[in-house]
Amino acid sequence: MPDTLTGAQIICRVMQEQGVDVLFGYPGGAIMPFYHALPEHPRLRHILVRHEQAAAHAADGYARATGRPGVCVATSGPGATNLVTGLATAYMDNSPVVAITGQVSRPMIGRDAFQETDVIGVTQPITKHNVLVRDVEELADTLRDAFAIAASGRPGPVLVDVPKDVQNQRAEYRADGHMAGSSDGRPGTWGHPSIRPSDHQRRIHQAARLIAEAQRPLIMAGHGVLLAHATDELRCFAERTGIPVITTLLGISGFSEQHALHLGMPGMHGEVHVNRAIQHADLIIGVGLRFDDRVTGNTAQFAPRAKIIHLELDPAEIGKNVPTELGLAGDARDLLRQLLGVVRPRDCYAWRAEITGFMRTREEQYRGDLSPQSILTALHRATGGHCTIVSDVGQHQMWVAKLYPYRRVNTHITSGGLGAMGFAVPAAMGVHFARPDEPVWAISGDGGFQMNMQEMATMVQEKIPVKMAIFNNGYLGMVRQWQQFFHGRRYSATPIWSPDYVKLAAAYGIQGWRVEDASDTDAVLEAALGTDGPTLVEFMIEQEANVFPMIPPGASLSEPIEGEPAPVGV
Amino acid sequence: MTAAQTVAVLLDEELLTLTRIAGMLRRRNLPISSFAVGPTGTPGCSRLIIMLQTDADAADRVARQLRNVIGVREAAAFAARDGVARELVLVKVRASQDHYGDLLDVALLYKAAIIDETADATILEVSGSEAFVLSFLRALDRFEVLDIARSGVVALGRSALGAAAVSLSPETVP
Repeated sequence: MPDTLTGAQIICRVMQEQGVDVLFGYPGGAIMPFYHALPEHPRLRHILVRHEQAAAHAADGYARATGRPGVCVATSGPGATNLVTGLATAYMDNSPVVAITGQVSRPMIGRDAFQETDVIGVTQPITKHNVLVRDVEELADTLRDAFAIAASGRPGPVLVDVPKDVQNQRAEYRADGHMAGSSDGRPGTWGHPSIRPSDHQRRIHQAARLIAEAQRPLIMAGHGVLLAHATDELRCFAERTGIPVITTLLGISGFSEQHALHLGMPGMHGEVHVNRAIQHADLIIGVGLRFDDRVTGNTAQFAPRAKIIHLELDPAEIGKNVPTELGLAGDARDLLRQLLGVVRPRDCYAWRAEITGFMRTREEQYRGDLSPQSILTALHRATGGHCTIVSDVGQHQMWVAKLYPYRRVNTHITSGGLGAMGFAVPAAMGVHFARPDEPVWAISGDGGFQMNMQEMATMVQEKIPVKMAIFNNGYLGMVRQWQQFFHGRRYSATPIWSPDYVKLAAAYGIQGWRVEDASDTDAVLEAALGTDGPTLVEFMIEQEANVFPMIPPGASLSEPIEGEPAPVGV
Repeated sequence: MTAAQTVAVLLDEELLTLTRIAGMLRRRNLPISSFAVGPTGTPGCSRLIIMLQTDADAADRVARQLRNVIGVREAAAFAARDGVARELVLVKVRASQDHYGDLLDVALLYKAAIIDETADATILEVSGSEAFVLSFLRALDRFEVLDIARSGVVALGRSALGAAAVSLSPETVP
């Protein structure tokens, strides 16, 4: 009889096969056989987090920075349910994450056993795929499929639930197991069929014609540009056609902000001239985005003069949120290359001048000199742009998106679709393992930081040198801003107390600084960057600073507010 | 234009795949009037027919979204005129001695089979289009109907192309 391995050992072997070098997890009863096997596989570096949510966010951060699946591991029941927010984040932002959860032994399933949760049922709507492994014989191929499904086509999280007795079952392990998707001789039942519509060439030429005819064309680039590694093609396409480029929140750093054709971020907190350009455009070429409601405002009044060409990997997205003149389903890089072959060079000079005319300097309404602008400008000065920025969710997220000049590809990572507070700190840990040679900044508000600040312990134990910055305004700032604008200034449950973060960091053995005066910013950032290991900088910013401009929820992109609106009854 | 639209799905014979499909439909709050699943000629492959009241574009979008579900092999939408659809219904009726003749008349009119008789109940079977089935049920209104079991609509596209139906989804991208 050939050598057999336990299910737990097979999980480790398949991880090695798949090139996994780091995994984030937390042990517990139903995943113990896996943790028993893990030390036999020293190439798999395990990071012990302090909460499973952080494991999922860290795997997500790793995946976004590398494009390869990030791996997280949890036990059954509470371990698995704690992964949920992280998996939903990865699902909304198309990040390839593989989650492995322990499950109670097969004879106990369905009996409401200790720490039993139907995690397949719980995670079904927030995973690209999930599966309960029913026998060790199917374990290896199921895991291989999980990695393939997570990374292929439109990426997303995949959860594999492995009962404890399956982890202990023995089976023959073959490294040359079936190639994902080919087990029964037909293409995998996942990803997107390579079938092109028979009229694809006609569509490409139609796109070229629409582009040639347009007087006011715009490119809106989303996360799909980064996922498809299409940043060079995007730049060539923009330069060839002279069309200005808008980057969505997740498209930021897909097109250099130094480039003359870069316009900025659209939507709810987009700059006025960007949104005005959209409202005046006669053609929008959307590349790898889903026209999310935070981007479009009221869809009925979105880009009223524009025809939309939508380049998108997932055919189901085309025409979903906005009516589309022409849909091109496929990989953004392929499609842009094909378009580059047919578009005629032009410069759009008059249109660009018109947009420049939309620009005007806006008086930033900050009190005091420690403004978000000054902090982010100083951060760029201190890092020279040589860092990856991971932001959390809320006001600081918008400032970080808008005020830091991103020039290097994929250096801005944030929770866009789900908007999960608590994302930045653990996700930054994952990014560190993808980019060990450059600083990773986790920028949070005082609310989001307190959601996952326990991970400072992980950073210390595992020597993860994440640089943490907290924008502390003593409020859940974005909610407070909405309360100020739309709820008659009733600050219900938004004032939030913080501990002394510098002392807290010290308790973890992490060096920290508090900045209350803008003149200290540069020196503190230099010190934080120059100190080995994790460091923490707390910025005491203006309490009631607001993010402007803002499109009120449900309004059109033509109706920005740039100061506190007149009070309204609620 | 809102009308009855058919979405045909070929899927792995797995409860999990079916759950995912149902979950996707539920999340999008679609106006589903019928949901019928059964085996196909291919081992391990089921066919699901979903009827929904919506416009052709929305039905097509549902098909495209279903193609993203792992375990779905093919999905396509077609309008009523591009396919044939049938539903089976079993109706349990109590007819007194006086009305039994009337019941037989209705059965004859609708070519319904009487498939079971007990002392106090008769079970009739009819298959046909949804409209025909509904007409049959209305005709039985004047009897004491004890129970109704409907299979849901099953359908096939007319065209020989594509196992599920008329067109593959990339063709139908706007």
